[in-house]
Amino acid sequence: MSSVPLSVYLVLALILFCIGLFGALTKRNAVIVLISIELMLNAVNINLVAFAKYGINPGITGQIFSLFTITVAAAEAAVGLAILIALYRNRKTVNVDEMDIMKH
Amino acid sequence: MTLDKLLSFDWGMMAPEFSIVITAILLSLIDLFMPNKVSRKPLALLGLAGIIVAIVFAVLQVGDPVGSILFDTYRFDSFALAFKLLFLVATAMIFLLALDFEGESKWAYRGEFYYLLMTALLGAMMMASSADLITLFVGLELLSISSYILAGIRKRNFHSNEAAFKYVVNGGIATAITLFGMSYIYGLTGQTNLYAISEMLVDPRVQENSFLVIMAFVMMFVGLSFKISAAPFHMWAPDVYQGSPTPVTTFLSVVSKMAGFTLILRLFFVIFLGTQGWHNQILLDAQPFIAFVAGATMVIGNVVALRQRNIKRMFAYSSIAHAGYVLVPFVSLSLIVFKTTWFYLLAYLLMNIGAFAVIQFVTSREKSEDFTAFSGLNKRAPLTAFMMAIFIISLAGLPFTAGFIGKFGIFMSSLGTGHYILASVMIATTVVSYVYYFNVMVQIYFRKGAGNRIRPTAGLAVVMVICTIGTLLFGIYPSLALDFFQSGFDINDLFTPSE
Repeated sequence: MSSVPLSVYLVLALILFCIGLFGALTKRNAVIVLISIELMLNAVNINLVAFAKYGINPGITGQIFSLFTITVAAAEAAVGLAILIALYRNRKTVNVDEMDIMKH
Repeated sequence: MTLDKLLSFDWGMMAPEFSIVITAILLSLIDLFMPNKVSRKPLALLGLAGIIVAIVFAVLQVGDPVGSILFDTYRFDSFALAFKLLFLVATAMIFLLALDFEGESKWAYRGEFYYLLMTALLGAMMMASSADLITLFVGLELLSISSYILAGIRKRNFHSNEAAFKYVVNGGIATAITLFGMSYIYGLTGQTNLYAISEMLVDPRVQENSFLVIMAFVMMFVGLSFKISAAPFHMWAPDVYQGSPTPVTTFLSVVSKMAGFTLILRLFFVIFLGTQGWHNQILLDAQPFIAFVAGATMVIGNVVALRQRNIKRMFAYSSIAHAGYVLVPFVSLSLIVFKTTWFYLLAYLLMNIGAFAVIQFVTSREKSEDFTAFSGLNKRAPLTAFMMAIFIISLAGLPFTAGFIGKFGIFMSSLGTGHYILASVMIATTVVSYVYYFNVMVQIYFRKGAGNRIRPTAGLAVVMVICTIGTLLFGIYPSLALDFFQSGFDINDLFTPSE
């Protein structure tokens, strides 16, 4: 069987999560921001599946949970892109810096 | 799972949820088959009827023993029911607000607004009732995704687009952070049921990795703080509240926020206080930090509201400040935390929906969201002006209103448990809040405004009157609500696993 220990998966997930968070907070292109959020959600999936296989109390629940996460993430991405398209039609920009018309 | 097993569950317990689901499906089908150029406003009345049916079913459940279906993933206890009632009542009033709302040119022909409100309500009810991380997460996302679309429903309006996009990005990040925390909790315990998690956490093998439990706690709390717009995670709230259509703003500031508090209370209390063990200490150790969040929320909400001229933005900051007040009982962890939180949320529901009804009335008639739109309202609509004054007095927390009783309860609970700094921050920020609340009052009563008499439509008038009566009634006889809560709901059954 595989000899890759659990901690490697967890570190991979943590790195992926941090890259996603960094991207979501710093990138200017709105599409990249949405992709970064997907990265964060996929980090969660790696965690869940790794724990389901090698955790202290392994079990199938983690894989079921990750199926739900994938589905919901897809729905969220679809809604996010739809809103971005509506915004793009009106404003002709996907630059996050220019979305500031409500500054007081 | 066989059909027999599926049918053996007591589905009758889910009657309130089912009436919401069925109404949502009905609304979407009717919308589909309606001719293009027919106003969709009657759909709001159908939605309202569905919610009233759900309220009736929910009231009939008061006093029922704890039950659960679907292998303990969905629980029916007093805690869930008490908060579900608040969600239902609030959404019913928001449907009345929606009746009056006029958006862009083709607004009247758009039906999705009504059934998305229904699905969002369903998500909130799922959050109140779930006892499993998976269902909690699905409920949270059902509420969130529906609200993203609702925020951006005026698709040709720049503000609405921008509000929706900011909400999606912030909400997505918050969801990912919460989920990351949940994944550690799952990983250490191998369970997703909240009660099973609480029992498994006592396991010495879990205690060896206690830093992961603490990390999970922090991440879940941060993620959920976005939902209730507590500082420093409140940045999205003013923009989203300002850009959304007013009924949606009301929904976000009342139902969505209450659902966030319900989720926080259930998640943290059941996981970290459900079973005696080392992990109880985590919630107690976290108290100073949560107290800091509560204090910062009150200060930022009230101080930044001072310099707002846009009335919706001002009330967005006001609702941030109120989130800070509601976090105080969660910090003090006294025995009456549920009672004070529930009563405050009830008072907040009444005064905030009432205030937003008046805001919707004035901003739509004046075509301006600046707070000077209220000038001379006393001359143009004396009764509405009077009701707005009551809501503002209640929001400011002055006597004879529900807001005062709620705030007093929270204040006493923090004093009783020795959180003197938090109590004094609360008093100080309340005094600061008088400045911007009474600025609006000055506009209404002492500034001269142009224009003729204006009168609210029937839907708005009903909401305003109900909220005024509620605010005054629970302000003068708070025992009406408190006794109902005390006798109908045995909140301790939150901790008793159902058999």
